[in-house]
Order: sequence, then structure tokens, then C-alpha cells
Amino acid sequence: MDTMQPSDSALISLYIAGQESAFAQLLERHKARVFTTIQLIVRDPDTAEDLLQDTFIKAIHTLKSGRYNEEGKFSSWICRIAHNMAIDAFRREKRSPMVSLDTTTHPFNSLSLAEEGTEAMLTREETHERLRGLIQELPAAQKEVLLMRHYGDMSFQEIADATGVSINTALGRMRYALINLRKKMAAQPVFDDSNLYPRHPAPVRVQRVTG
Amino acid sequence: MIQTFTQDTLLRYVYNELPAEEQREVEQALLHDPELATTCADLLLAQRSLDDLRTAPSERTTQNILHYSRTFPRLK
Repeated sequence: MDTMQPSDSALISLYIAGQESAFAQLLERHKARVFTTIQLIVRDPDTAEDLLQDTFIKAIHTLKSGRYNEEGKFSSWICRIAHNMAIDAFRREKRSPMVSLDTTTHPFNSLSLAEEGTEAMLTREETHERLRGLIQELPAAQKEVLLMRHYGDMSFQEIADATGVSINTALGRMRYALINLRKKMAAQPVFDDSNLYPRHPAPVRVQRVTG
Repeated sequence: MIQTFTQDTLLRYVYNELPAEEQREVEQALLHDPELATTCADLLLAQRSLDDLRTAPSERTTQNILHYSRTFPRLK
């Protein structure tokens, strides 16, 4: 149960005190979210892997040098580092959208996909690739809020503070991002719900994220 | 009496950012307002599709980070 898990703050304290296993837990807890954020910005799995390493290396330096500021959530902090690094890398390299042919790493390494048949896996991956494409088509401000809120675990107020807008603007951008995505998905048959999440048959009303 | 809620309140609801009391009010309203429930379902479906995009990095990258941490000296 989640209640038995040590908090991020507790793990950080243990890590700073010299317990390496605490950092392993932090990494395990946050790596997928951070990696997804980076991948949706740079769109290249290899670059995303490199940037994930750079992100956590920066965190290691900050934590081990005693410069970590406990004021905010670790999850928001690490995601802001990742977001900034990914944006910098994207601007620096002016990378065009790429499709990796390396199927040994992404996106077929997700556990939920590995358990499925090849055809279902390919259909789902095609659907996911198109969804990634739709996210890229969002206006930059909407995409930024979407990544920070959904994958970065930042509250709308934290996003507002980080991006220098009001909370109402942040909420509005997120709302339009989700509405835009749903409209575009509804317009494409490949986004039939069964192609997206057949493994979660529970009613959607009980699927709210936990904060 | 059923309250009306703004779209922004609904968005904060699906992202679990509402105070407990306001959350309960939204949940009550969802039971009696089909239009609100449809809008909420749309937001939740978008959320779920985004959840499905979540992918993990390679094990090699994870091990590289852990190795770096083990070998990086404590500077404090």
C-alpha cells in the first residue's frame, strides 16, 4: 500500500545521510513520469534516455552537495529540471520529429504491452504514436501545461508560478489542451477506446488521479 | 440544491486538487447533472489516454544513474 511507502522527503533525507538505496527508490518512483515528459518534448528515445540521465545527475549533484531546497515537492522539482533540459535540447538541436527503429527499447518495453499479443501491441503502439503526434500539434503553451500537470505532478498553482501566468490561465490552457486532444481523437477512428485502454474496464468516474 | 460548477473547477476535480468539501459537492452534482457528468467523463478519458503514453526508460539508463550516484562523492 502507498501508506507503507516512505515519503519522498524521507527518502531524500536518507539519501543525503548516505543511504544509496533511498535514491534507488526515488528513481524507481519517478523515472517513468520524468522520462515520458522528456520524450514528449524531444520525441527521440535515445535523446530522452540521455536527458533523463542528465536530469538525475543534476539532482544527485544538488542533493549530495547539500543545496537541495526542501520547500517544494521533489516530483515537481525533478520534473522542472527535466522540462527545462528537454526544451533546451530541443531548441539547441532543432530536432525534426523522428521515429526510432530501435524496438528493443521504446516503446515496447512497457510492461502492459509486453504481456499482449503482437497485433494488439502494434495497434496500440500505432494509436499511442498518433496521440504523441496530436500532443505535438497542441499550441506550445497548452502542451507545456499538459506535460507539467499530467506527467510532472505539478499543481496548477505551481505551474502558474513557474510559467508566470495566473492560475486561471494555467487551468484554461490545460482545459483547452484536453478538449483539443479529445476532439482530434474523436475525429480519428484509430482512437477507438478499445485501442487505447482495453486493460482498464472500470468505469471512468472512479479513475481520478491521486494527488 | 444542485450547485453549478465551472469547467476549471471540474478540471481541478479530476486532478484531485479540490478541498474535500468542494470535492464532495462536485460528486453530488455529478450524480444529478448528466451534462456535467459527460464533460467530466471526457476529461477523464483524455486523462486515461495520456496515462497510457507513460513509458519507462531502459534498464541500462537506470543502472547508469544508480552507478553515477554510488560513485559521486558527497560534497557536504
